[in-house]
This record gives sequence, C-alpha cells and structure tokens, in this order.
Amino acid sequence: MAQSIADRRDVDFVLHEQLEVAKLSEHEKFAEFNRKTMDLIVKEARNLAIKEILPTREIGDKEGTRFDSGKVTVPEAFHKVYDLFKEGEWVAMTEDPEWGGQGMPRSLALAAGDYFNGANYALMMYPGLTHGAGKLVEAFGTDQQKTLFLKKMYTGEWTGTMLLTEPEAGSDVGALTTSAVKNDDGTYSITGNKIFISAGEHDMAENIVHPVLARIEDAPEGTKGISLFLVPKFRVSDDGSLGEFNDVVCTGIEEKMGIHGNSTCSLSLGGKGGCVGTLLGEENKGMRAMFLMMNEARLLVGLQGFACATASYLNAVNYARERVQGKNLASFMDKNAPAVPIIQHPDVRRQLLTMKAYVEGMRSLLYYVAYCDDVVDTTDDENIKEKYHGLVEVLIPIAKGYVTDRAYDVCNMGMQVYGGYGYIKEYPQEQLVRDCRITMIYEGTNGIQAMDLLGRKLGMNEGRPVMDLMGEIQNIIAQAGEKAETKELGGKLEEALNKLGEVAMHMGTMAMSPKALDAFALAYPFMEVTGDVVMGWMLLWRAVIAARKMDNGAKKKDITFYAGQMKSAEFFIHNILPVTLGRMNAILAGNDAVNTISEDAFGGK
Amino acid sequence: MEILVCVKRVPDTAENEIEVNSDGTDIERDDLVYSVNEWDNYAVEEAIQIKDNVGGSVTVVSVGDEESEEVVRREMAMGADNGILLSDDAFEGSDGKGVASLLKAAVEKGKYDLILTGAQADDGAAQVGGMLAAMLDLPYASLVNKIEMIDDQKIKVGREIEGGNQEMNEIDLPCVLSIQTGINEPRYVGIRGIRKVASVEIPVHGAGDLGVAADSVGDAGAKVKRLDYFMPELGEGAEMLEGSTEEIVEKLIELLKAKGGLK
Repeated sequence: MAQSIADRRDVDFVLHEQLEVAKLSEHEKFAEFNRKTMDLIVKEARNLAIKEILPTREIGDKEGTRFDSGKVTVPEAFHKVYDLFKEGEWVAMTEDPEWGGQGMPRSLALAAGDYFNGANYALMMYPGLTHGAGKLVEAFGTDQQKTLFLKKMYTGEWTGTMLLTEPEAGSDVGALTTSAVKNDDGTYSITGNKIFISAGEHDMAENIVHPVLARIEDAPEGTKGISLFLVPKFRVSDDGSLGEFNDVVCTGIEEKMGIHGNSTCSLSLGGKGGCVGTLLGEENKGMRAMFLMMNEARLLVGLQGFACATASYLNAVNYARERVQGKNLASFMDKNAPAVPIIQHPDVRRQLLTMKAYVEGMRSLLYYVAYCDDVVDTTDDENIKEKYHGLVEVLIPIAKGYVTDRAYDVCNMGMQVYGGYGYIKEYPQEQLVRDCRITMIYEGTNGIQAMDLLGRKLGMNEGRPVMDLMGEIQNIIAQAGEKAETKELGGKLEEALNKLGEVAMHMGTMAMSPKALDAFALAYPFMEVTGDVVMGWMLLWRAVIAARKMDNGAKKKDITFYAGQMKSAEFFIHNILPVTLGRMNAILAGNDAVNTISEDAFGGK
Repeated sequence: MEILVCVKRVPDTAENEIEVNSDGTDIERDDLVYSVNEWDNYAVEEAIQIKDNVGGSVTVVSVGDEESEEVVRREMAMGADNGILLSDDAFEGSDGKGVASLLKAAVEKGKYDLILTGAQADDGAAQVGGMLAAMLDLPYASLVNKIEMIDDQKIKVGREIEGGNQEMNEIDLPCVLSIQTGINEPRYVGIRGIRKVASVEIPVHGAGDLGVAADSVGDAGAKVKRLDYFMPELGEGAEMLEGSTEEIVEKLIELLKAKGGLK
C-alpha cells in the first residue's frame, strides 16, 4: 500500500544517515534514547498519526469549529484523537520529565511531529500551543505557578494559548493596549480584547491557560512596557482545584480559508471586571520572554507548512502512478498506443521532482535546526554551544519564512498534478493548499522573517553565525569534491555559495548605510536566495551520503532510494540554482524602484 | 493470573506492496516493513486488561530471528510485563508444528494459567494455537471474541460462529485460546511505555535452552514444505471496474440493473 504523510525511508535517512541522531544517546541527557527506542517512537507516532489522526483532517475541515454563546465546540472526532494523543504523552516530548515531559531529543520529536502535523495540523495546534505556553511557565514561572499549571499543561489535561494580537496590534506588538492593574494580593486585574487566538476556546479540556501580553499602568511606551501574565479560563485554587470563571469570554471565532479544525478566537478579558492574572516573569520584560520562545515557535510553524507539503507530495506521486490519462509522448503518433499513468508525462515528472527536492531539502533543514539545539543541550564545549546556537539563530528565518513559502508552492503543485480533481473537495489536495497558507502569515509574516534575517541575524556576533553556516556548507562541498558522482554538483553549489557570500556582504553594508530602505526592499529576495543555497546544501549533503552508501553495497530497495537522492540534488542544482544566481545578480545590481515609486503612482486612486 | 501471549512479527500488509520473489519460493522480503501480527496485538491487549482486573502478569513470547525482538519490546511497551524471544538458526524454516513445539517448550519452562495466541497471522495458516493446545494437552477455544473471569479454576469464553451468532463456553484453566480481532480495542503505545522498556534485556532462548532437539524443528524437522508461491491467473467472467469512485459506482449500478440484480 502506498505511504501517506511522510516517506518512511526518508525520515529514517535524515535521522540516522544524515544526522546520526542515535549518537545523542551517548550523552547522559539522552541515554535512554538508543536507536531501537528512537525507531519505536517514530513507528508508534506514525501508527497513531496514520490510523487515528489522519482520518480527522477532512472532518476538521468540513465540520470546522462551532461558536454558540461564548462556547466553542470542535468536531466530535477530535475528542477521541486528542485523548489518545494525551494518553500517549506526546504533548511535551522534549520537556523535563519532572514536569510531565518525556525528555526526548528535539530532532527525534521533530520526526514524530512530521507525522502528527502531516496528519492534521489544525488539530495538532491545540497540543502545540499548549506545549509552547507550558514552556513559558517552565522558563519564567514561580514555583507556585509551575506547581499549579505546568504538569496539567505538559500532560495535555489543560491546554494553552498565546494572547498577543489585538485589533490594532498585529505585527507591531508594542501597540497593544490590554491593561493590568496590580491588586493588593499581588495579582493583576486584566482588561482588554485579544483577537486571532488559536485554540482560545474549545471543549477538549476543562481549563485553558492563557499567557497574556499586557501593559501595567504607567509602563513605558512600546515593547519596553509590555509584561506577561498567566490568565486561566477558570481560576485555580492553591490546592490545584478549579475555581470560578475568570471572565475570559470568547466573543466569536473567525471564518478562515483553512485550518477550520482550529478555533481562532476573539477573547474579551475582564469585560465584567473579573479577570485576574499573575505576573509571569518580571514586569515590563514580556517581550524578552516572547523572544526566548520565538525560535521554537517559528520552527514549529515551518514544520506545519512543511507537513502540508510532504503530505501533498506523497498524495501527488501516488496519484500520478495510478491516474491513467493520455499516451506516452514517445508514442504519440501511434493510434493504438495505450493511455499511460501520468507519471510518465515529462511535465508531471518535472513537478513531482521539484516537489520531491524541496520536500527532502526542507525535511533535512528542519530536522537539522532541531538537531543543532540537541547539540547545544549535550555539549560542554562553550565554543560548540555558541556555534550551534548561532546556526539556529541564522537558520530560523529560513526554516520559517523560506520553508513555508516553498511548502505552499509544493502544495500548489500537488494540486496541479491532480488536474481538475485537485481543485475539488473530494480529494485532499485543495485543503492542504488552504491549510498551508496561514503558515506564511502567522508567527511573524514571512516579510518579517526576511527583515529578521537581514536586520538581526546577518550582523549578529559580527557575522559569526553566517560565517559558521557558510563553513558548514563548504564542508559538504569539500566532501562532494572527493567523489566523482558529486564533484560537479559540489562545484556548482560552491559557485552559488561564493556569490551568496558576496551578496551577504553587500546587503550587510547597504543595511548600515543611508540606503537602508533599499536593503530592506531586497530583504525578501535575500532570504529566498539564502534559502535556495541552504536547500542546495541539504540536497548535496544527502547526495554525498547516498553516493557513499551505494559504493559500499546497498540493498536493492535502498539503491532506488539513494539514486533518488542523487537525482534530487542533480535536479535542484542544475535547474533551480542557476535561477538563484540570476536573482543574486539582481540583488547586487540593486534596483531601487520599490522605494522611488511614489505612493500615488501605485494608482487606484 | 499468569498469562502468556504468543506474538509474531509479520510484514505489515497496510504498509507494503507484497510481491512474490522471482523463483516463487517466498515473498520479496528486502526492505519490508514489519509489525506485530494484528490478531496477536488484540491478544496482548486482552491479556493486559485481564491482568489489570484480576492481577498477575503478562509475558509475551515470539519465535523468530533477532529482529523479532522489536515486536516483543513493542508489546512490552504496550503493557506486558515480560518478554521472551525464541531464536536459533535451527528454528529457521519451521512449519506450524515446529513453531508450536517451540512454544510448548517455552510454556513448560514457566507456569501459566492462560495462553493466548492470535486466531491467525497475516502470513500464517491459523494452525499454531490449536496444535499448541493439543501438544500441551490443554483445553482450547478458537476465534475467541469474549473472555469473562469466573474464578481461578475456570473462565467463560465467547466464540464468534457462522452467521454472526455467538456461542458461550465454560473452559477450565489452564487453557489455550486463539483470539479474534474485535474482542477489544488495542491501546496505542505511548512514549512513557517505550521509555520504560528501552533498556530491558529480553532473554533469548535457543534450542539448547528449550531442550528441543535441533533436528526436530526448523527446516530439518518440517514435514510441511512450501512448494510454490504465485499469483493465480485471472479467471474468466470477472470484470474489473476502473475510474473514480463515482464512475465505478455508476458502472456497478448500470451492471446490476442490466443483469437483473437491481430492479
């Protein structure tokens, strides 16, 4: 039977052949996660994802969430699956076992997440946000806050959210107006309205814990005056029991293009003066807390988008193998030639190979970023720690901004391969396009990711992380040079890498000059070309391993897989990277029309 | 209640395209994905539920190569207390009777009140459970879809019989039961369970440990030999309908009407 969601062999390849994650078990922190245990975890994640979660994807889309007088209900089918997910203790895979986590390496958790999110990421957002909110409690909570909330969250008994956005404070968080007034007992009375709150209200848990960004009276303007509060839907007594309703009222849910299974809520806090929260961390340090959580949240969004792409790709390739339509072009003149599966048509193959290359490159990148965090967690060498932390920093805008863009492209192609059937709801492809689309917007729009890359990451630590990234890419190019099969590919990637170095210098200089606005007009193309080179790196890395393995005598089915790896790298480096070179030339030429066009000249007035 | 459950590692039919190999002696096994046999998984779930109700322990045993350890470990992650792997080069190529005699030896090394097998295996012949009972001279019920505890001497078992009818039997302990799917809803394996068994050593028993003569099992002892494996040729009178689900349904209705099946 054809596989769905994620190619099993490919997941294993990245974990065990590319990143060799089982070596992490040599460190005390991950000692129990040997190869066998890892394999069992990935297998059981896949089992649960395919048998239970995947069937709820379409149900979630068609039934959606329902709002009625302040209450939100999720599709009935979600309840059972969420319970199974909780029972399997998949909510906090990487967290401290003391608080109900499972202490897994992040790279391994990402592989499990690959299946879960690919199965139904709208559903997975409930535990995903719970995990993120729990992290805030773990990092900044007092002992009492942790005792009251953390275990309930990490085990999924209570869910969590993140209350950030307000009608007039979206990308500009500093503009928020939700207020906090200190009470005599040290708690705060919270008043304000929040919108776009994913999982803000639903009927799968008895309590929902909201970390809320708000402004204490007389706090400084902008982001410097924002504090973080812990605001539960129902108050929690000192003994852990649930108390009265905390005046967090859901006033409506959004009708969205996709992720219908996840409730996107408007919440009114303290409308009747009865919403009480406790400070999480220090006063006016709320944004700092956000930044600490940002990398993980953005990697998760990258994974969500990617998960749609990998699912769409496997659907498309399986469909193309079965869908018989048209003759093979080579026998076009033969009246009696039979119709063939569309996978034989060159343009379908072009789309499939494009999808394959991006899916593989993106999978490697996302797992690699998680793996870098694992290295940080398991090394005592400060230099290595700093290096891998820097790699995470510089790769996060790529893993979110670039990956979700390409993931959407892949979903689009996945719809195209199906032809007209791709556009109708009987088939899964159009839902994946719709679900994927939001990942380019939330958790910092992809434009903001590009600005982050240019404005914060490029010059970070005097450019050290970018230099380290280029060093890692160069390292794979050097390995590629040692083998005839990969030498040419390595040479071409090197050409692109050198040019990227030139572009990065140029952009860095421009961003610091009076032409800073022109630099930011080019931030997006800069993120895209950087992402392309990173894809080339990941695919070449895969090809280097594949070539080596084939030399050492691989099993029959492995040979097909490795040959497929060589083709992905070959296709990407020969067909996509030359376009990247052209785009880099355009960046270097630096046309400034974006900034010199007058606002009136945009027309439409 | 001490319960032994016999489990088998089989190619997962939900995950593989099963193909016959070129010389027709076996299926293509290169890079197949294996799982625990579905029926056995129900048997393990049933055993865990019985243990949870009346106490005791659950042991899983598997006859197979060293790779079979993964299914024993998996069933332990699910909640079985102990695992045993029966593995020896001499066991390779065992027929049903060979496998049953190995299991018999394993049963005799312990003390079990209840022995469960799956009703059949995806790649098997539904023969081991019955043979094992006969060899042990124990009472046996097949296709069991209900188990009720009476006391520590006997239990009540339900069997699914022809036409969807149900039969109930009282059976003395110890006994052997072969378990039908649907008797329960097997639980999923969670991370905690996996972590719990991550470093558990699973004992491996070979021919010597079991006191079984090497030439009485495996290829050497097999009295049933597989001669050939092939896909039967397509017969006459069958028509494969192709197209989308709707197209197929439409054609099917047309055909049913044309042939008088639908009026």
